[in-house]
Amino acid sequence: MPEIMIGNGIRYTEIYDPKFRSCLLTIQFHIPRNLESASVHALLPDLLTASSAEYPSVSAMTMQLESLYAADFIGNLSLCGDAAVLDFTASWLDDAFVMQGEPITMSVLSLVTGALLHPNSKQGAFCEPEFRICKQNLLDDIDCAQNDKRGYALRQAAALTFSGESAAIPVHGTRSEAERITPALAFSVWQNLLRTAEIEIAAVTPVPKPEISAHLMACFRDLPRQPYWIQFEVPSPMRAQICTETEIMPVGQTKLVLTYKYGAVKRETMLILCSILGWIADSLLFTNLRERCGLCYYCMLSNEAFKHTLFIDIGIDADNLEIVKDAVAAQIHALQDGDFTDDMMQKAVLYNAFQTAETSDTISGLAAQRLLQLRRGDQRSPNEIADAMRNVTREEISEAAKQLTLDTVFVLRAEQEEVGADDI
Amino acid sequence: MTSEIVTCKDPATGDICYRILHPSGLEIRVMEMPDFSTAYAQLGAKFGSVYRRFRMSDADAVTELPAGTAHFLEHKLFEKEDGDVAKKFARLGASDNAFTDYDRTVYYFRAQQNYYEALELLLEFVQQPYFTEESVTRERSIILQELMETLDDPADQGFLQLMEGMYHAYPLYPHILGTAESIQQITAETLTQSHRAFYNLHNMVLCCAGNVRVQEIFAVAERCLIPAPPMQANAVFPPEPAAPAASFCKCRMPIGKTQFSIGFKSRPTAGMQRLRDSLLASLTADLLIGSAAPLYRELLRVGLLNDTFDADCFAGDGWFTVLFEGESDQPETVLQALCDEIRRMQTDGVDEELFAVLKRAAYGGSIISMNNPEAACSAMLDAYIWDCDSPFARSALLAELTAEDVQQCLRERFCSEFACLSVIEPEISGKEETKL
Repeated sequence: MPEIMIGNGIRYTEIYDPKFRSCLLTIQFHIPRNLESASVHALLPDLLTASSAEYPSVSAMTMQLESLYAADFIGNLSLCGDAAVLDFTASWLDDAFVMQGEPITMSVLSLVTGALLHPNSKQGAFCEPEFRICKQNLLDDIDCAQNDKRGYALRQAAALTFSGESAAIPVHGTRSEAERITPALAFSVWQNLLRTAEIEIAAVTPVPKPEISAHLMACFRDLPRQPYWIQFEVPSPMRAQICTETEIMPVGQTKLVLTYKYGAVKRETMLILCSILGWIADSLLFTNLRERCGLCYYCMLSNEAFKHTLFIDIGIDADNLEIVKDAVAAQIHALQDGDFTDDMMQKAVLYNAFQTAETSDTISGLAAQRLLQLRRGDQRSPNEIADAMRNVTREEISEAAKQLTLDTVFVLRAEQEEVGADDI
Repeated sequence: MTSEIVTCKDPATGDICYRILHPSGLEIRVMEMPDFSTAYAQLGAKFGSVYRRFRMSDADAVTELPAGTAHFLEHKLFEKEDGDVAKKFARLGASDNAFTDYDRTVYYFRAQQNYYEALELLLEFVQQPYFTEESVTRERSIILQELMETLDDPADQGFLQLMEGMYHAYPLYPHILGTAESIQQITAETLTQSHRAFYNLHNMVLCCAGNVRVQEIFAVAERCLIPAPPMQANAVFPPEPAAPAASFCKCRMPIGKTQFSIGFKSRPTAGMQRLRDSLLASLTADLLIGSAAPLYRELLRVGLLNDTFDADCFAGDGWFTVLFEGESDQPETVLQALCDEIRRMQTDGVDEELFAVLKRAAYGGSIISMNNPEAACSAMLDAYIWDCDSPFARSALLAELTAEDVQQCLRERFCSEFACLSVIEPEISGKEETKL
């Protein structure tokens, strides 16, 4: 797994795996977050992948990608603790499988670096109408944030849990900030990121392709750079009082989100804890809330590791709200009291081992896993991580569970619960 | 017992799919992918939400099932006298689940180790139902919560409203889960009866892909499969007129922007013909308004569409619809622009360059999409449900498509008089419906 620096603050990692028939290149920019820049950062993935100087419209860009055997080029902004990762990923059919035998790897590389370094711009501003189209997409995304009720409830809970921290800023920013974005402002922010963001690049290919690193080096070598480094792991401070908020909406199902914060806990310990609490087939939450009491269909647990915060989200009948809250608290107490079996510990280890194996069986998973490890500064091999997982003890789980402190209770409450057949 | 092993090979990649018709009645399809560290198995039955009426071969009477029976059965099959079978999979390090669709129910697991033990478990638990009224009653409340979630999902509701507008009688609605009322009607006896009728091994397929060996899978099958009598249940579908039931339907939900679904209803086909027709219809939709087509960019430019727009072909045993979905403040204008473009393409002909590029893209997509165990497993199962022998047929069918085929497809499958527009408008509170 060779790693090289191809510029100031630009690291390139190559992974070869002959089982894949496609190639993948991911270029990630690590960026800080604030309310003023959140919307423009959210606009950039769409803006930079929809067109470029060479392919100046969405039709021209798509036509080129389709002609490269359905090559894919997508941008994405994901929150990562108090910071964000702006990710541009291209994937394409390996040259060995193209019909006429003409290699396409260099064409895809040129398309990607062209889009990022020579965007569809003129005189220091992104060009119309592509800019306007992308800005409208962003405004529509902001307006439609409540379409997915479960996602909406989780985002509202995150905003309360991380109030006052950068992690509370919505991924798309606010409508008023998005409305203020001009073609010149977006271009200037992008040029600034090219100069200052730490850049991680990973390529996964079935066979070594030295032309990828050579091309990237040629493109990025002369970029003027003054990179800054971002601290991703910034635990959210504990608060003195539990934050409780309820929002009423005309929906059928009530959503309950509970967040718990924790202090310094080893990563493997938290993974085993989460597995026992909510991830394995007979987890405490699934068994007791769904299977035993029939209180819900889904009861999901997620770990925002960079903020040391757990999210539990459940779709319920509003009448059962207090029963469900008590039931969740009882499962946390069970963990604290060591009220779980060795069998569950064993299943948790197996569950995580499988997750790792499965991730390495997809080309995108393999790249994402490697880049996440680099972001964490974790250089261990999969075997070393598996060993660490097996060495987690019951006592460590209980001690970690004792750190879990209820922080926020957010309820998206259904205006009415009764549903008749006519509504379906 | 003897079984014949038939192989089919993908000429583009060299991949091999083994097909075994096991004497028990079960068809087994396997792709060995030894470079991968994980493996998948899917056990599927041709029993989905549209199978609401059936007749046993030795009876005249038609049996009717409440809407949502296939899905309810899927939920309940995991529960056994000694508890939830998922716990046994977890002990093996395998991750199991299931889903119900319109035309199928599929039980599956994924594993890195103990694969063959998990496969035994899969075959055993699907063949051996255990239902009690008490556990059925408990499950009902869980399924009602699942249903409540779908009722709040605008994408789900927009699609469902479109199906109700498109089909007079064909059971593509209500939801796969059923209704609050129909779920109440499902009993342990309903589930037992459905399992007996449709979970006959002659009506099922086992697909395995990843780091597996076909001989070992066969050995597990020999140990675990209980020979089934010939299939005796025949699905009964109501006659369905060619034209849609409505041309327009609308409701309101708490959403941020108007959502729409457009459906073009056309004649259903079966087997390889359906696969060819659906590939052709998808390609034609992309020629009309895919993201490389001039109309798409024009509608983006004037603000009639945004990047949520998508096209798809939705076809199965008795239905065929080309779908367009997205967000727009003026969905009627989008439909009009689409119908205008259909007429223009019929008059001016197909853009040959774009057609060639889209065919090439479809070829590339078909190779990439099969490059992991889960996708390979699903492709084999899809092929079985659609009565196709090979999961590799797409590339060859795509290569043969011509511009004249596209013109024929436009005439037969994109008729404006067979279109229906389903709209969901933003609403802060309350619901109302309109059907024209």
